[in-house]
Order: sequence, then structure tokens, then C-alpha cells
Amino acid sequence: MNGYANLIAARLRKLADEESTGMLPVTGRGDGAIFFRDGQVVYAESSRTSRPGPRATGLDEHGLLPGEAPDSGGERYQDEAGVVAVRPASGLAGVLELTELIIDALTELLSSESRYARFRPADVLPVGEGRPVAVKTLLAEVQRRHEILRQLAPTVSPDTAVACESSLSLPSAQVSPGQWTLLGRVGNNTTPRTLAMQLGRSVFGTTLEVYRLVELGLLAVQGRPPAPADGQAVTVSFIRAVTGGKGNDD
Amino acid sequence: MLFMILPEAGELLAGVKAIEGFRLGCLIDASTGMVLASLPSMDAPAPPTAAAGATDLVHILTLLNGKLATGEILEDVMITFSDSFFMVRPVSQDTEPMILLLVVADRHRTNLAMAHRSIRDFCASLPA
Repeated sequence: MNGYANLIAARLRKLADEESTGMLPVTGRGDGAIFFRDGQVVYAESSRTSRPGPRATGLDEHGLLPGEAPDSGGERYQDEAGVVAVRPASGLAGVLELTELIIDALTELLSSESRYARFRPADVLPVGEGRPVAVKTLLAEVQRRHEILRQLAPTVSPDTAVACESSLSLPSAQVSPGQWTLLGRVGNNTTPRTLAMQLGRSVFGTTLEVYRLVELGLLAVQGRPPAPADGQAVTVSFIRAVTGGKGNDD
Repeated sequence: MLFMILPEAGELLAGVKAIEGFRLGCLIDASTGMVLASLPSMDAPAPPTAAAGATDLVHILTLLNGKLATGEILEDVMITFSDSFFMVRPVSQDTEPMILLLVVADRHRTNLAMAHRSIRDFCASLPA
């Protein structure tokens, strides 16, 4: 991380040290907010990433999501005790789905173009319990993701337009159901971000899946020739992301 | 360093600690490489690096499988180093995102066949 992202990271560490509860609004390419409880991040949301559920946290109530109508109060999941949940999640994969979207929002909010506003101690997460995660753990994960995005950048970014590769005599290829869903949605000027937002998935995860589909020769970056088949293409490395990153959050 | 993005995953990992020679257990989101939880012993390798390596391996093998298009699925990966075994297995074949279990064990104290069986049974017992 660098520039303003470092300032935000420092602010998050300070809020963690002070065991703060409240909300930190963040602005930049998109608007969003990070919610704290007792010094841990319990939720984050960005207008440029998928939200965990309809009106999940009430960012609209706080006036942080432009263009949204005021809360009509009718779209939340509510149990018999009146407790409102973000989204029913079952099993490890269900819990992961929600956590992934929170970290995805943080990855976007901690970009170099973001700035934070005054912390609002009175604004607590209005719905659900959130997913408490230590700031140090989150910052390490966000830094890892930024490093992977740097590796991917020569091939594809969250905002790179991709298209189905129709010019090649396609070899048979085996894809996962999730990748198949992505292939079925690719049209004109589709980007990993638009795919993720349509499907309610992580922008970071979708960008990686799109990269894998480019590797398989099933998608091509618009306006760019297909990747060479001789192995010269840049290969993403998760090891390099944790051992060779340029930034340092510790 | 104890990574704990999902506390639930950390509780689940306690089940693999019984493997003889256990050094490290990690649950990893294969699609993003994120470590969901790790359970290191005193002599464990660095969890983020070990987990990243496991994810890179699975990524390459999935690419190989995708290119070969034989309709097969990846069941597990067993790697033998001079002093340790690295064992990687998707906890479920029909769940997306794919979650990986990485277990690192001391080669001189571990019966590989028994460890393999334990890991297989552990994955089968996890809630989907």
C-alpha cells in the first residue's frame, strides 16, 4: 500500500488500538464505510464491490451510498426475535462468502485514491452481528491482494474489458461451474467488476477467475492479442505475493 | 503468527492436530488464496507462505486439468520433502469456492498412509 492507503491503514490500526466502536466513512473512486466494534472490523462496504445482501448494513441510512432511495425497511431478513441478519449462510462456504465480500470491499477502500472522513463513534452496525476480524489480519490480507492485483495488471484488472475468445479453434477445456457461469455472462465491454456485481461475487475473486479463463484461452482481453501459447505470459504467484511484495503493513 | 479470518474454520482444524507428526494445518480459499485459518505447531513453517505454495500448486494442477479436459477432478496432492510431507486436499468436490486443507507433517514421525486416511476422513466429516 502507498500514499493515502497507508494513511487509512494507520487510521485503522489506531482505531484497533483504541478498541473503538463506530464507523469510518471512506471516499475515493467509490464511497464506502468500515464498521468497528471493540477495535475489530465487523463489516465493510464499498459502492464498487458487491454487497452481501439487500440493504445489508444500512449504509444508505447513513447517506453513504449515493443514488439509493431511503430505506423502505422491507428487504431485510428478520428472524422471530426481530434480529436482522445480513444473509443466511450455511456451512463454511456460506460464512466464507460473506467474509469474502467484506474483505473485497476493504481491498477496494484501501486503494491509493481513497481518503477517510471523521470517525463516527455513534454509528454502529445497524443490522446483524457482522464478522469480527482483527485489523492486523485484514491489513495483511489486503496487502496480499494488492500485490496479486499488481501481478495480474499486465493481463487483466478488475476494470479490463474481456470477451469470449471466438477467433481460435478452441481446444476442449474443462471449467468449474463458477467459471461456466462467468463465461455465460460475458458480453460486450464486460469487465470482471461488472460480472462480480451482477453475480453478487467478490471483485477480486472474479478478476482471478477471469485471469484463469484467459489462461485457458476461453476469454481474451479486448483489443489485445491472445496470450502466447509458449508460456511467455505472466503467471500469477501467490507465494510471490506473500514473500516478495513491495509494500509493508507491519 | 496465527491467521484467523474465520474463527469457525479454526475450530474445525483441531481435528487434524491428532495426526502423528503434525506441524501445520491450514484451510485456504483456493479461488483467492486467502488463509481462512491456520493451526501451527511449535516447529511449523510460516503459514502464509505454506498456504500460498499450496494454492499455487492447486492453481497449476487445475490449469493442467482444464487443458487436458479429461473430466477428472483433483482429489489430493502429496509432496515429500526430505523432512516433511505436504498434503493438500479440497475439503469438498462440489462446493464453490473450493476450500483446501493443507497439512504439513514431520516425515520421520508420520505414517503417510495413515495421515492420508485421516485427512480424507476429516474432509468427509466437514459440514458442506
